[in-house]
Amino acid sequence: MAQPVLQAKELYFSYDGRQDALSGASLDIYAGERIAVLGPNGAGKSTFFLCLTGVLAPERGVIALDGAPLRDKERRRLCARVGIVFQNADDQIVASTVAGEVSFGPMNLRLPKKEVARRVDYALDYMALQPLRARPPHELSGGEKKRVTIADILAMESEIILFDEPGASLDPAGGARLEAVLDRLSAEKRTLVISTHDMDFAFRWATRAVVFAGGRVIADGAPENVFRDRAAIARAQLRLPAMMEVFDLLCARSITPAGARCPRTPAELAALLNGAGA
Amino acid sequence: MRHTHSHSVRSVDHLAYISGMGGWNPVFKTVLALGTLALCLAVDRVVVSVAVIVSLAALQRVKGGLAVRDYAGLMRVPLAFVMLGGLAIACDISSTPAGDWNLPLGWFYVCAGADSAYFALALVLKSLGAVSALYLLALTTSACEFVGVLRRAHLPRLLTELMYLIYRFIFVLLDTHDRMRTAAGARLGWRDFCTACRSFGGTAAALLVVSLRKSRIYYDAMAARGYDGALRFLEEDKPWRAAQVAGMAAFWAALALLGTVTV
Repeated sequence: MAQPVLQAKELYFSYDGRQDALSGASLDIYAGERIAVLGPNGAGKSTFFLCLTGVLAPERGVIALDGAPLRDKERRRLCARVGIVFQNADDQIVASTVAGEVSFGPMNLRLPKKEVARRVDYALDYMALQPLRARPPHELSGGEKKRVTIADILAMESEIILFDEPGASLDPAGGARLEAVLDRLSAEKRTLVISTHDMDFAFRWATRAVVFAGGRVIADGAPENVFRDRAAIARAQLRLPAMMEVFDLLCARSITPAGARCPRTPAELAALLNGAGA
Repeated sequence: MRHTHSHSVRSVDHLAYISGMGGWNPVFKTVLALGTLALCLAVDRVVVSVAVIVSLAALQRVKGGLAVRDYAGLMRVPLAFVMLGGLAIACDISSTPAGDWNLPLGWFYVCAGADSAYFALALVLKSLGAVSALYLLALTTSACEFVGVLRRAHLPRLLTELMYLIYRFIFVLLDTHDRMRTAAGARLGWRDFCTACRSFGGTAAALLVVSLRKSRIYYDAMAARGYDGALRFLEEDKPWRAAQVAGMAAFWAALALLGTVTV
């Protein structure tokens, strides 16, 4: 079994000392995975992400990097390897120009100025933001701001990137562009962890799905298996991906071949039906 | 729409970002603006004041690409204040006719003399010259660049960083406040004076709560990118240009000369 790059073991955290935001959350993350984190609002997904980046210190539990548990003082080392894209772009943007904003992370990593400039250019090119580099963030559209916040993390060259509900405020074109970026990042062997309420996206994109409820992980595995876990889906108040519901309907009418796997996209469904008809 | 007639913080800020002089070194622009301001005040001649007003307006138009309408619009507010002040200086109120001109208004006279009128005119022009010099800075240099200049002038880090963050959050909070105002309006929150007062109080209180909550989130977001108590950003290199420095020296020399030869 390969060594997980990042492990969380039995994390506990509470904001006010009374109600637990995390109560025993555990997760092993392996290099190159595409993990969708699902769960209702208030299930502890965002808090869990902040613990993984070292921003919040869990009250109990261990975070291990490459198998080595981090002591409390070493917690801040996490942010060099784990980047997080916040849900609300305006919560993340601090600088008053796009280029300045993207340079914030690399500057904090204490890289030489030349290297910072190279990384800023790389990240701006990656997110097609070069024409906007001298613009102030308050003049950008919502989709452009989102791209800036992703460029922020790309410039830090984090191996593991956490996205907190990245598609929440994007229009369909913005969503498609985001997915293209995610595919490219994944092809470049980065580890991506995304919290989302979009079941269809999670089902077609992720290699692994993790369900949070009540501050802990209640289901973890291949998306198909997780969505078949009726108890977990009910408890987390999720719904099934549309493709899965369609597939179940087709199966009930014996239209699909026996033993077929549930298609993840309309194109896969078309291929399956073409195969069945032939 | 950007090009409206309301010249608020946003539009001054926007003009600074689109200015053709944005690529000039910010320290150079600060030196040019403050030097011209000092010269205009020190020489104290009408002809120099006029020269400063005209040449800086021309510079903003030609090099900065600023629309005459925008510049005139921005000049209107200080112009109104300075004119009122000038009027107060030029005119006197007296119970008997005095000076060169008198305006009888029932039981008192508003009177003015040629001397005091000239003095007031010189003062108005000098003030407008000073305003032009400061506009040269304000309309070509974004606030964050100016904070960079202050940092280089060794203003304490704490102050410059506060200015930087406040500048950023002004826009975030303005946005939030705009949304709250609209939301209150959608529920008839501004229908009459009393309701408007209550709505205003409500949005102000909510804004405070939102700011407090946001400050925590911002700190988290900054910490996630390795913030450790000092704000660091990469600043784009904008070199001093010899031609610009020479132009500045020639401009100042011409102003000084103009101040000495005329009576």
